[in-house]
Amino acid sequence: MAAVKFEKVHFSYKTDDEQAENVFAEDAAFSLNGIDFSVEEGEFVAVLGHNGSGKSTLARLTNGLLSPTEGEITVFGLDAKNPKNLFEIRKQVGIVFQNPDNQTVASIVEDDVAFGPENVGIPRQEIGERIDFALRAVGMTDFRSATPSRLSGGQKQRIALAGVLALKPKMMILDEATAMLDPRGRKEVIDAVLRLNREEKITVLLITHFPEEAMLADRAIVMSNGSIVMEGKPADVFAKEDELKKYALTMPRHICVCRGLREGGVEIADTMETQKIAETLLPALQGDFSTDLQENLGRVNSENTIKPETSTGAGCVHCENLSFVYNSNSPFETHALDGVNLTINAGDFFGIIGHTGSGKSTFVQHLNALLKVPTAEKKYKEKKLKKGQIVPPKTVLSVNGFDLTDKTTDFKTLRRKVGMVFQYPEYQLFAETVFEDVAFGLKNFYSDITDAEKQKAVREALETVGLNYENVKDRSPFELSGGQKRRVAIAGVIVTKPEILVLDEPAAGLDPLGKEEIMDLLHKIHRDWCKTVIIVSHDMDEIAENCNRAAVFSMGKILLTGTPKELFGRVDALMDLGLDVPFTAKIVDFLGQNGVHIDCDYTWWDFVEKVLKYYKTKGAGMRLTPSSEGGQNHA
Amino acid sequence: MRDIAFGQYYPAESFVHKLDPRTKILFLIVYIVAVFLGDNFYALGGCAGVFFLIMLFSRIPLQRLLRSLKAVLFLLLFMSVLNLFFFEGGKPLYDLPKPWRFLIITDKALYHATFLAARLLLLVLGSSLLTLTTTPVSLADGIESLLKPLKLIRFPVHELALIISIALRFIPILTEETGRIMNAQKARGADFESGNFFKRIKSLLPILIPLLISAFRRADELGDAMDARCYSGSKVRTKYKKLTYGWRDLLAAFVGVGLLIGVIFLKIYTGALV
Repeated sequence: MAAVKFEKVHFSYKTDDEQAENVFAEDAAFSLNGIDFSVEEGEFVAVLGHNGSGKSTLARLTNGLLSPTEGEITVFGLDAKNPKNLFEIRKQVGIVFQNPDNQTVASIVEDDVAFGPENVGIPRQEIGERIDFALRAVGMTDFRSATPSRLSGGQKQRIALAGVLALKPKMMILDEATAMLDPRGRKEVIDAVLRLNREEKITVLLITHFPEEAMLADRAIVMSNGSIVMEGKPADVFAKEDELKKYALTMPRHICVCRGLREGGVEIADTMETQKIAETLLPALQGDFSTDLQENLGRVNSENTIKPETSTGAGCVHCENLSFVYNSNSPFETHALDGVNLTINAGDFFGIIGHTGSGKSTFVQHLNALLKVPTAEKKYKEKKLKKGQIVPPKTVLSVNGFDLTDKTTDFKTLRRKVGMVFQYPEYQLFAETVFEDVAFGLKNFYSDITDAEKQKAVREALETVGLNYENVKDRSPFELSGGQKRRVAIAGVIVTKPEILVLDEPAAGLDPLGKEEIMDLLHKIHRDWCKTVIIVSHDMDEIAENCNRAAVFSMGKILLTGTPKELFGRVDALMDLGLDVPFTAKIVDFLGQNGVHIDCDYTWWDFVEKVLKYYKTKGAGMRLTPSSEGGQNHA
Repeated sequence: MRDIAFGQYYPAESFVHKLDPRTKILFLIVYIVAVFLGDNFYALGGCAGVFFLIMLFSRIPLQRLLRSLKAVLFLLLFMSVLNLFFFEGGKPLYDLPKPWRFLIITDKALYHATFLAARLLLLVLGSSLLTLTTTPVSLADGIESLLKPLKLIRFPVHELALIISIALRFIPILTEETGRIMNAQKARGADFESGNFFKRIKSLLPILIPLLISAFRRADELGDAMDARCYSGSKVRTKYKKLTYGWRDLLAAFVGVGLLIGVIFLKIYTGALV
């Protein structure tokens, strides 16, 4: 029996409520136009598609949170249009949503998991058993009496999963449930879902932007503008580059690598598995060992060509012995920063890597004095030193030429020079019009600015972020789409022409194309707007592809600093911290252990180029007829 | 911001912590009644005795308890001073020349002011003991359970409890979010500290509006999540956690009733002592 069956399903928000359109213009994009679709029991289906393609609408229709305007939806044999069936359908089909904070009703984990069973009138004895079952299934048994707000994103989301599981559903829908999590949290959730599908035979509908998650599914469907446009095995779907592009999706990096290698003559099938690529490459590269391996490697010594101007001038960050303690002298005391030393040069596109809670956000907030440097030494000087107590080393923090350890520093000018874009910056928009919102910073920093100057600055900022000034300036920021809102928020920061721009997870929550566009935008800003760009990111490929230098934070300390090439060459050190590395680094590491040394900067295109070069000069390719093709460069 | 210790709850394993929240709420009510009924120092002494007994059994350090007095310290002093100088009657304790007559304190005023201060002190300390030993969640559970009889007059007890529980759940989230938005606007040069009252109120708009929008968005999403988990009001609902009274509660009940009887007894037989 089909778990879910859609027949010619249409849905639009407009007909539902004319008013709604005004409030959330975005919704207009989320309609469905005649969808035929089914999921078999026990199947694992991934749904892909750009933001606003109708994926979430599909999910909401499936468990009756929305009702179709036209067409038939059958869920486990029940007609979803009949309101009487809703209760039963929701028991069978559970949904986990995107934001882990907004799905929990209780302040204690077990109370929250009990919420569903309580709602359907399960006797108390059995609720206890169900809580046991659900928490065990997601590996959260030890957290039964914990407080959700103290848990990590991945843990919170697993609690949400447990809350749904406690109703013993036959099917689970994950509506971008991993979008807001860091890589570690994402893995926790996906592993739990995979196990439920394999062991408990629960049907899974996984809505996601991450290709590596979609690859785990039995089947993938791609949605675009309210229709299903592609369907098939995930590997097959991802292999169709032209079609993906048409539907605003990007080809996963794994497939790009396989493609590139194949075009260079290496026999390799498209695969999303890192290990498989590595294993296929090894025999192809282990060729004639007569030439000295170490010699002809052509070590290009790192592309860190941008020489530091000075370490204290405009665009620079210089920091020594920076420590920071939250809630000091209380039971909740946490050492967020513990003696950080770091120099960021003018002209850097700098990456900051680390787990949630590693201190990177705390560090970043020091850069424009949102957190002030504690004057610890002073305190020590005033009080007499206890016996054996060592005076902490002097803290130095100089940002863009400002001495932040000095209380007389002009912090207002500092904030103008150091722009800060927080995570999900679109949530900080507030003004009636886009113009007013972007101009907010201008008005704060320059109280005597003329209207003409203001207009000019706002126009420049909006155009830089790729928005049409005339079109958007008088619109409410809340009318715009998610990606546009983020651009407006960035415009609101760069409008004062900061020399250093700091962005916390600038691409979080966007679809793959949106991510690419934002990174392109940042390069544009870096090129002709701000001297130095600093990004905090979980996405190692993003760091490898965009940054010239990066630092790894862990437990309030900086563990490694260097070019992405230097950092990601240390696969073991990073993996030991539980951090990820670009998959190319894993392959290089594997090849290296087997005597094949590839020297690349870990972007997929450089990896392909260097592997092919090796292949042709030393690997199996040398024995074949030399191909005329060189390595491909990334467009 | 990351680790807001919400409410006053002081975690410990103690007799008082383990009491049923309903017992503690009812006991507090009895205690308050006793403190108000007691119109002499003997009665208040009894109340104070009971208070110290509970404090010992709750393992809350006295220091921690006294900290909760900070908020009412001003009120306490203010009331005492007012009573000292403006209480009519009684023998003056000292004499002052004409323009300073109003500064004369009488014996009755002194007695009265001390008495009031002691009463207020006992009230605040007693209530603090409740919030220090009971988590907000179980406090809400207790209130829900105690309000149950109101269901008869169609008062939405369950809904009220759910609202309280969700509010408690979202306080840390919204606090954190406020901090985040404030930082973001500060980074854009916003200034929340300077200017006159109206200017400062106006400067809060860039925080309040995003916060409000976010709260609505969260409410919307939470509503969906609750719907998806079959929430449909209190009709068929069962409850996983049921409050149960134990031997500790029985003991507490004896103490409470004892206190009340004692105070009433004192009121009747020693009222004339003053």
